[in-house]
Amino acid sequence: MSYDLTGPLDFDALGSVRPGSNILISGPAMAGRSDLAFSMLAGGSREGEGAIVMTTGDPADDVLADYRNRVENLDESRVAVVDCRGEGGRDSEHTPDGAYVHHVSSPGDLTGIGIGITRGIETLTDSGATAGRFALDSLSTMLTYTDRKTAFQFCHVLSSRFDSAGYVGLFTIDTEAHDEQTVQVIKQAFDGMVEISSDGGSRQARVLGLDGQPTDWQEF
Amino acid sequence: MSDDTPVVIIVEDEPDVAETYRLWLESDYEVRMAHSGDEGLDELDESADVVLLDRMMPGLSGDEVLARIRERGLGCRVAMVTAVEPDFDILEMGFDAYLCKPIKSEQLVETVENLLERSDYDDLLQEHYSLVEKRATLEAAKSNAELADNDEYLATKERLKELQDDLSETLGGIESDEDFIATLRGLDDPEG
Repeated sequence: MSYDLTGPLDFDALGSVRPGSNILISGPAMAGRSDLAFSMLAGGSREGEGAIVMTTGDPADDVLADYRNRVENLDESRVAVVDCRGEGGRDSEHTPDGAYVHHVSSPGDLTGIGIGITRGIETLTDSGATAGRFALDSLSTMLTYTDRKTAFQFCHVLSSRFDSAGYVGLFTIDTEAHDEQTVQVIKQAFDGMVEISSDGGSRQARVLGLDGQPTDWQEF
Repeated sequence: MSDDTPVVIIVEDEPDVAETYRLWLESDYEVRMAHSGDEGLDELDESADVVLLDRMMPGLSGDEVLARIRERGLGCRVAMVTAVEPDFDILEMGFDAYLCKPIKSEQLVETVENLLERSDYDDLLQEHYSLVEKRATLEAAKSNAELADNDEYLATKERLKELQDDLSETLGGIESDEDFIATLRGLDDPEG
């Protein structure tokens, strides 16, 4: 099997993505990185795949409310949220609609995040999801809690885990929030990248790394 | 035995039990014994790779010994040995593995092998990162044309590829939850 990540973007390179691929969604502030990541996640949920969201900014309730709007008749037993905003320490719960929510003390608590993701994958598998997509929004916030070495190694280890789980991972980064060396280092933890640029009213994207040569820019 | 032979330290107050573990391990590892937590701390140094630590001992308990090991920043892996199935969440604990008595020979050998593999993985991850930094630095400093025949750059890329392969073969590509959590714990606390 492979993952179809098209929908918001119509690139061949996104049409059949190998399980275990991890993709960086990069671009400047307000260019719609999170929106793109969640759209790509929602495409899977519509097909009955599992979805795991790791949020560093919006609370789990807001993430779930937004996600319900994206997916009609969402089966929430196939949704997990790892909420890293550090409210409530490490604990977990199921929402009334069946989504699994795991709280972690901070975006720098890698052990807690690892436990949340592990439990999330377990829960989705128990609900019958044989494939799944993961979105981390955002690496930039995480990088304010950890140094780039730790963040890079975290991405690398997570990639390996998703590779064995057969998941696909989407990670957002604000390119304007970091120096160039940091972005160049973090990029190397990924199989491919969706680069967004925003110019006045129009947004463009291109894909690098998944299918050889960089694609042309496409408006979306 | 050669200097590369991994060192396993058995901290166990029951002599018969400790002796059994030693017999199982001594053909592949340099085994040292300590009969109490205090003796265990004396025995521990940078050369230790794996510690088998009995949880319930007179004097210093296994938990206290673990805390001292982490304080001293020793890089060894610690497997806790308990008489009863732990009633706490093992993923949350600072141990790298746990074993329930009575332990079978193959179980012990597998655990030690797995812990050594985790150390290998961490070493690979460190080397990998230093090359990732180097590659990013070279790419920032030179044009594509310059990079294409820069020997240092080509060697870095080549070695990175080898390390990628080694990393995905080690620990079965982090297939187990325990290996995944333990590796992340290592990133959280590089000294531990």
